[in-house]
Amino acid sequence: MDKMAVSMHGGAQARAFMEQNLATIASPDELIAAVQRGSRAALKRLYELESRRLYGIALRIARRPDVAADALQDAFIQVWQNAGSFSPMRGSAAAWLTGIVRFRALDAVRKLGREVLTDDPTLGDAVDEPDPAAAIDFKLLQGALQRCLETLEEKQRRCIVLAFVDGLSHAEIAARLTAPLGSVKSWVRRGLLSLRSCLEP
Amino acid sequence: MIPESPEQMHILAGEYVLGVLEPEIAREIEAALPRNSALAASVAFWQERLHPLSSLAASAEPPPGLWQRIESRLDAATPAGSARLWQSVALWRWSTAAAAAIAACLALYIALAPTSGPSYVAVLHAPQQADAAFVATGGGGGLLLRAVAQEKPPGDRGFELWAIPAGAKPRSLGVIPPDGRVELGRLPVPLAAGTTLAISIEPKTGSPTGQPTGPVVFVGTLLAAQ
Repeated sequence: MDKMAVSMHGGAQARAFMEQNLATIASPDELIAAVQRGSRAALKRLYELESRRLYGIALRIARRPDVAADALQDAFIQVWQNAGSFSPMRGSAAAWLTGIVRFRALDAVRKLGREVLTDDPTLGDAVDEPDPAAAIDFKLLQGALQRCLETLEEKQRRCIVLAFVDGLSHAEIAARLTAPLGSVKSWVRRGLLSLRSCLEP
Repeated sequence: MIPESPEQMHILAGEYVLGVLEPEIAREIEAALPRNSALAASVAFWQERLHPLSSLAASAEPPPGLWQRIESRLDAATPAGSARLWQSVALWRWSTAAAAAIAACLALYIALAPTSGPSYVAVLHAPQQADAAFVATGGGGGLLLRAVAQEKPPGDRGFELWAIPAGAKPRSLGVIPPDGRVELGRLPVPLAAGTTLAISIEPKTGSPTGQPTGPVVFVGTLLAAQ
């Protein structure tokens, strides 16, 4: 246990150094590493850097500012509690954060029920929203994912985008595309299958 | 039921990341993740590869005061530092069998090792999971890694061992042979307390780039052992 105490002392020095330099850190990966060492200042800096992007993701899925704000709040508590489970070799901090926010927003939407959300008269009808798959400017996306999405059939691509970006369930996609549920499920699976073979080296 | 077939499992992981699964199935996957490293690797694959799509959601300003609301909940939430300490304490709570294997490994290493200099020990486990998969002991410029569980890489892939000194890039310590045992007399980086050891899934002949390309499935940190 003595050794652990020694290494924690070293950690405290490193922490003091980190806190001084946080303002200059713009990399979520480095900030998560500091959060792993228990730095609240790093969590705050992470919020400053990433909250607009992450709130946008939550809002797109939840479509209600109060629900999106709660999802973002829960996500940051989860980041604080589970920073230790992030491994930089496994993936990027940005993708890890996105995953946490998406799941918290999806949880909220599934719990509340999408009907409740879309019946809100102040929010307009979901059907009137631009169809993201139709509106996608693929040039916005870069690299392998863009190239691989382009190889998919149109309906497979739309299913995957509606699920990932808008957080729609199989049934909601079916309603949106006026397609049978079984077809939607198989488009999603076949889309994933093609994406996988395209994305894997 | 998580499918046994790698292909079906990979697609299920993709559906999980997309968020289209029934809540009960999604919960089942979440529960299986800590003990199913192949499933965890698939989820990480999709999370990372689909991530660029999230840029299609326009950024938006969160409501004012949201950070203060988060901050006020941090005290009640377990701080990350304590969680990490808890994890390292949890390292001492494995099954007796794993502990016995570790003791045997340590004893063997100490018998082989030069008597001078510090020695280190690391327990490698899957992220978010306490069960030991590999144990490493080091000292005198060498390292011995031993499997203490029956973890195997998927089909045509291999495990590769990496050392990551604090703040530095991963350095390969080589591909782990099927018996899960690696004995190195010389290392490309000096060992130090705090160095992370990690195992990633790579092609059988090792990463083509010299840096990890596949998901990390086990990690551990070297602690001074004496």
